[in-house]
Amino acid sequence: MSKRIVIPGEQVSEERKRLGSHVYLREGKICSDCVGLYNEESNVASVVPLEGKYIPLVGDTIIGIVESENYSGYHVDVNAVYPSFISKKDIREILKPKSVISARVDDVQENMEIKVSGPRVFAGGELFTVSPVRIPRVIGRDGSMLNVLREGTGASILVGRNGRVWAKGGNLDLLRRSLEKIESEAHLDNLTDRMTAFLGLAKKNN
Amino acid sequence: MDEKTAYVDKHGKRTDGRVLNEVRPIKIEVGVIPEADGSCYLEWGQNKVFAAVYGPNECIPKHMSDPTKAIIRYNYRMASFSVPDRKRPQPGRREVEISKVSGEAFEKVVFLERFPGTQIEVEVEILDSNAGTRVAALTAASVAMADAGIPMKDIIVGCGVGKAGGHVMVDLNKFEEDAPDAVDVPMAILPSTDEIVLLQLDGLATREEFQSMISEGIKACKMVYEKQKEALKQKYRIPAEESMNLPEQGEGFE
Repeated sequence: MSKRIVIPGEQVSEERKRLGSHVYLREGKICSDCVGLYNEESNVASVVPLEGKYIPLVGDTIIGIVESENYSGYHVDVNAVYPSFISKKDIREILKPKSVISARVDDVQENMEIKVSGPRVFAGGELFTVSPVRIPRVIGRDGSMLNVLREGTGASILVGRNGRVWAKGGNLDLLRRSLEKIESEAHLDNLTDRMTAFLGLAKKNN
Repeated sequence: MDEKTAYVDKHGKRTDGRVLNEVRPIKIEVGVIPEADGSCYLEWGQNKVFAAVYGPNECIPKHMSDPTKAIIRYNYRMASFSVPDRKRPQPGRREVEISKVSGEAFEKVVFLERFPGTQIEVEVEILDSNAGTRVAALTAASVAMADAGIPMKDIIVGCGVGKAGGHVMVDLNKFEEDAPDAVDVPMAILPSTDEIVLLQLDGLATREEFQSMISEGIKACKMVYEKQKEALKQKYRIPAEESMNLPEQGEGFE
């Protein structure tokens, strides 16, 4: 794969292609709007950003922290630009401030408020943070990277699209180091192979 | 005639040894402040600038937010030790003005409508100054903005142009800016379209002089742009080279 790093305003392609994400048209030319990776061989002109905040999409699984409770529901910190809310009408269980929950993005409203549903409270475990734009690399193609991480560390892991990773059991220190490695090398190829080697090696050392 | 020889010698060199269209040496580092979403440190000759970008975040106070787009808060500040005589630390008239015009330059490039009701904070601190700090601040801030992953049409690049001792020259230093006939034109452009997003003028210039200043300024800005481009790409290049050797090293250790 021939990927190259592009910066805002840089023309990504001479050819006419279908427009993907993080590109815009300037005088008929396709240009990037962020610092990211552009795949030359793809037939869709799309830039994968290397930095940025979490932008909620309907259907995402996210990990949130309950912030406060009021009469009608709970405010949840989901690491996004906009506030998010769970209505008490939609759930049966009682949530407590500061508890960690996983939930699904139901709707992003016109005023950009995020509605989440189906909260599940976590008992125990640890929470890790990863840059939201690098979460796809933590999951890998069809969850391949996640399987490697689960196998290598023996932990049960749940990844939220908003840049939070919850894990319980197994070698959590190893998982933390693995996530740091993925985050610093997210822009490189063959990351799953390298992580397999990294975890295999680390296991032998322990 | 005496003044002309004072600012440019007979070899066409200026007082600090540069030629007329030469920019002072520039060093840019990306991602220097871990707490910020994006940051940049820039050295431009004697100028030293830190820029940090926070956001997009929830707009506080709420009444300043715009439900159709994000707002930009640009804060240009000079440290009290950045000038020869101590500067009073509270924001002065000059700083408020520069913050306003620089923030408006960013409104031209950022896709603000993607984050309605939010604010993007840009903090620029000048640690050391020697003329041309507002364009240095703008150059650093736009690199920090790209580092924060905020969608932009282009990267803003700024450069000073002007006249001293009757010669049109780029990137004036403090000595040249203090010339009796000095003209100072700080300008910032979008390098891909040559659109001008900031242009100020202090002094008296003829129409021909002004036009040559603009064209020289655009050329100088493009030189600065190459440095910005290099710095932004460098951030991701260094780990790439290191990790290339990692698998072999791992095998060797086994």
